[in-house]
Amino acid sequence: MNGPAAPLPYTHEAHQLAHQFLVEEAHLLDTQQLEEWLGLLCPDVRYVMPVAVTRSRRAGADQGPRPGRDGRYGSGDDGGNGMAHLDEDLFSLRRRVERLATEHAWTEDPPSRLRHFVTNVRTFAGPGPDELSVQSNVLLFRSRGDTRPPDLLSAGRHDVLRRGPDGGWRLARREVHVDEAVLRTQNLAILL
Amino acid sequence: MLDLRSITAHVRDGLVPAHIYSDPEVFALERDRLFARSWTFLAHETEIPAPGDFVVRRVLADSFIVSRDDTGVVHVLFNMCRHKGMQVCRAEAGNASLFRCPYHAWTYAADGRLVGLPFHADAYGGEAGLVRQDHGLLPAPALATYNGLIFASLDPEAPPLEDYLGDFAFYLDLYTRQSEAGIQLTGPQRWRVRSNWKIGAENFAGDSYHTPHTHTSVVEIGLFGEPQPHKRKEGVLYAAGPGSGTTYKLPPGDFASGLGYVGYPSDMVTRMERTWTRRQRDLVGQSGFMVSAATLFPNLSFVHNWPQVDDSGRVAPFISLRLWQPVSATETEILSWFAVDQGAPADFRAASYKAYLMCFGSSGMFEQDDVENWVSITSTAEGTMARRLLLNSRMGLDHDGRPLAEPYGDFAGPGVAYQGFGEFNQRRWLAMWCDALEQAP
Repeated sequence: MNGPAAPLPYTHEAHQLAHQFLVEEAHLLDTQQLEEWLGLLCPDVRYVMPVAVTRSRRAGADQGPRPGRDGRYGSGDDGGNGMAHLDEDLFSLRRRVERLATEHAWTEDPPSRLRHFVTNVRTFAGPGPDELSVQSNVLLFRSRGDTRPPDLLSAGRHDVLRRGPDGGWRLARREVHVDEAVLRTQNLAILL
Repeated sequence: MLDLRSITAHVRDGLVPAHIYSDPEVFALERDRLFARSWTFLAHETEIPAPGDFVVRRVLADSFIVSRDDTGVVHVLFNMCRHKGMQVCRAEAGNASLFRCPYHAWTYAADGRLVGLPFHADAYGGEAGLVRQDHGLLPAPALATYNGLIFASLDPEAPPLEDYLGDFAFYLDLYTRQSEAGIQLTGPQRWRVRSNWKIGAENFAGDSYHTPHTHTSVVEIGLFGEPQPHKRKEGVLYAAGPGSGTTYKLPPGDFASGLGYVGYPSDMVTRMERTWTRRQRDLVGQSGFMVSAATLFPNLSFVHNWPQVDDSGRVAPFISLRLWQPVSATETEILSWFAVDQGAPADFRAASYKAYLMCFGSSGMFEQDDVENWVSITSTAEGTMARRLLLNSRMGLDHDGRPLAEPYGDFAGPGVAYQGFGEFNQRRWLAMWCDALEQAP
C-alpha cells in the first residue's frame, strides 16, 4: 500500500500526532506493557508481516512481498511464496499477549531486552476521512540472557491509524516489511 | 580426536554424550557420512506449478535449483556454473526460461542443458574444444518424488525412495494425501536459530513427554486443549521405516467423528475416506488415534494440531512441514511450510492458515518455547563438562534395556507402537544417526 505522492509537511499537526503515536507505542513494546499496547488497536485491526523472498529485479523484487490475488497471504493463490510470519487479528494478538502474561512462556522469561528505534516517519492523509497512512522504519535490538549475541531486526512499516471514538488514534492496520529473507532471531515472540 | 565408536556405543545404549549437540567434529561426520548419502527433502511440486517455475534450496552448503522444464518435468540442478563456479541463479524463487551466469554468460535451460556460451566457435573452436551437451548443470545424483514431495540424495547409489520410505509412507500419506489432488505447500518461513539441528528432529520424532510442560502456556490460554499430561499419556508413539511420530487418543467415535472432532469439514472427511486405504482409515476410526508430530529421518518433520482459531470456539486443524537445515554444529535454519489439501474449501484454508501461524513457524506460540529450550541445550553442550555428561535418553526401558511395557496391540498402523511416555522413537532416530556415521566415508 502506497500513500499519495507527497507526505504531509513535518510541521503538520497530523504528522506530529502520528509520530508521537509511534514513539509512545514503541515505548509500550520496549517495556513490554502489552495489555496497554492492545488498547491502541482498533477492534478490526490487521497486523501482517509477510515473508521476504529474494527475487530478481525483473520479477518485481523492488515491489516487496506479494499477497495472493485475493489480497491475503497464505491463500495459496499467489504464484509466489504468499506467506507471512505474522498475519493477525485482535483474537490472535490477544492470545499472544495472554500467553506472555502466563508464568510459563519460557521464551520470554527471563524477558528479552528490547529497543525499538523508529525513524523516517512519513504521514499521508487518508485513506478514510478519519485515517492517516504512516510509513516508518524500525530497527529492533533484542538481547536475551548474558552470553548470546544480540539480534537485530530491520523493517519498514506501513500503518493506517484511525481516530477512535474518544478522539485518540488507534492502529487499524500494520504491514511490517522485514528486510531479511531469513530472520536471525529465534522467534517472533516480540512485535515490531 | 573424536572417539566415534565410544559415542555410538553410548548413544545406542540410550546415554547420549551431550557434546554431540554442539561438536564441529561430529558435524563434519554428519556432513560427510549422513547428508552426503541420505534422501533429503527439498521442495514440493506445488511450489513450482508452472513450466519455468523454480525455487532454490540447499542440502547443507550445496545450493540446488529445483525447476520445472517446458514439458513439466521437475529437475534438481547443482547451482554452480560449470565454467568458473558462479551461482547461476541468485534468486530464491521465480519463473525463468533460462539461467544465465552473470560472470561469462554461460546459459542453461530449466532442465540443466547448456544452451549458450559466448563465442563458442572463437573461444573454444566450437564442439571441437567444448562439447556443450557434456557441460550442463550437474543434476542431483538421485531425485525422486512421493506425493509431490521432491527429495534428492547426493549418493548416486541411494536406494529407491519408496524403498527408503518403507512403512513410513503409510503415515506420510496421512499428512500429504488427504485427497487425490494432495497437499499444497505455502511458504516457507525461514529463520535461523542457534540450535543443533538434531534436537528438533528428535523432538518431533516422539517427544510427547515435553508437551505438557514446555507448552503449558498454550493450554492455559485455552488455545489448544490436548497437550495436558493425561491426554498425551493416552497417545501412542509409533515408528515405521525411517520415520516415527506421536498421536493423540480421540474421544470415542468413528472415522467421521474423529476427523470432525479435530475440525475437518464433512467434504474433506469424505475425500479422506475415499483416498485412504482401509488400514489408514482404521487408525482413526477403529484404533481411535490422530497423528500429531513426526520426523522422517534425517531432517524433515511434520506437525498436525487443532487449536481454537476464534472467539466462537471453532477448532481448525493445520499441517506443517519443516526442514531442520543444518548450518553448523550450533546453528540451524528452519524452513517451515503451511500445508493444506488442494481441495479444501476457502473458509477451511483460511482457518487452518490462522491455526498454523498461531501455533508453529517463526511466530508460533508452541514453537517459541521449543526453540528457547533447544538454543539453551546447544550452548550448554559446548563446554568441557558437557564432554563428560551422558544425557539420559532411556525413558521406557528398565535397567536391562527391556521395554517397561509391551508394544501397543490395538494400533492399525504398521511398525511398532507404544502407548504413554517413552523415548523409543528418539533412540530409534539416534540409532539411524549412528548407522549413518559408522559407515566408511
